[in-house]
Amino acid sequence: MAWKSLYWEDVQEGQELPTVTREITVTTVIAGAIASRDFTPVHHDREFARSVGLKDIFLNNATICGLVGKYLTDWTGPEGELKEISFRIMTPCFPGDTMTMTGKVVRKYTEGQQHLVDVEYEFAVPQGRNCSGRGTIALPTRL
Amino acid sequence: MGLDFYEELRAFIGQEGTPSMAVDEVCKPMIRHWCEAMQDGNPLYTDEEYAKKSKYGSIIAPPTMLLTWTMPPLWPPREQPPHPFEQLLARLDKAGFYGIIITHVAQRYYRPLFPGDRVTFTYKVSDVSPVKKTSLGNGHFVTTTFLFKNQKGEMVGTQSLTVLKYRLGA
Repeated sequence: MAWKSLYWEDVQEGQELPTVTREITVTTVIAGAIASRDFTPVHHDREFARSVGLKDIFLNNATICGLVGKYLTDWTGPEGELKEISFRIMTPCFPGDTMTMTGKVVRKYTEGQQHLVDVEYEFAVPQGRNCSGRGTIALPTRL
Repeated sequence: MGLDFYEELRAFIGQEGTPSMAVDEVCKPMIRHWCEAMQDGNPLYTDEEYAKKSKYGSIIAPPTMLLTWTMPPLWPPREQPPHPFEQLLARLDKAGFYGIIITHVAQRYYRPLFPGDRVTFTYKVSDVSPVKKTSLGNGHFVTTTFLFKNQKGEMVGTQSLTVLKYRLGA
């Protein structure tokens, strides 16, 4: 499979990232929790989650990190190098939710040898925003 | 619950536990399981041939996996004295702030992790807020910061987590 790279020269401030949707299932939530070795019951035990007043189990923070990483490097291609991500978690994402991921380039700059872009992104679920935050990615350059 | 209590909480700021070592080394199966869950097809993580030709010369772990390497084993329990962060959470429980949710996450990546690397980490309480009114109830925001190093002592990354410890509806 051929992989395409996004070059720093081809990115503009204000540019939008593609909108991506993902159907979140019970399996998504549990697979994410276990792959991140997070055995907190609210991420795999429905009965427990309901007993503490939640609608259902919900995506853990590590899975959100993983989905943010995937969203950003799916956009840049594998040569895009994540430097940092940060986000606020607002509404839980439950099984059955469609997650809609959007983003925008807010800054393009260089630092030393690095060609960087800052991106703001938001993951929405039907009941509100699951998370919104910012990331910094180093991109390859044609220079 | 006045100023004295908040002063007691603030005394935890800056306290760092003893360094811990990850139970597993960074390895391809755990990386692949992560990629399955995320549906992340980035070839640097799972395609040997692509990764070998990349600037890394090998498979690397997804940077967002940082915290995963340091999660405690499900069994047997880690034998170490309670960390200041856990002590702080227990103090808040005792004061009735039982609820806990993660409200903010930040990760910084300095160098990649490769299969065979072994992570060591420390974490400290970096901030406690005064009591705040939130939609869940009154609570304190507690921030903890992790530092991750590889077996050569090189800094791999950091992660900060902010949790809200709240008292339901009050």
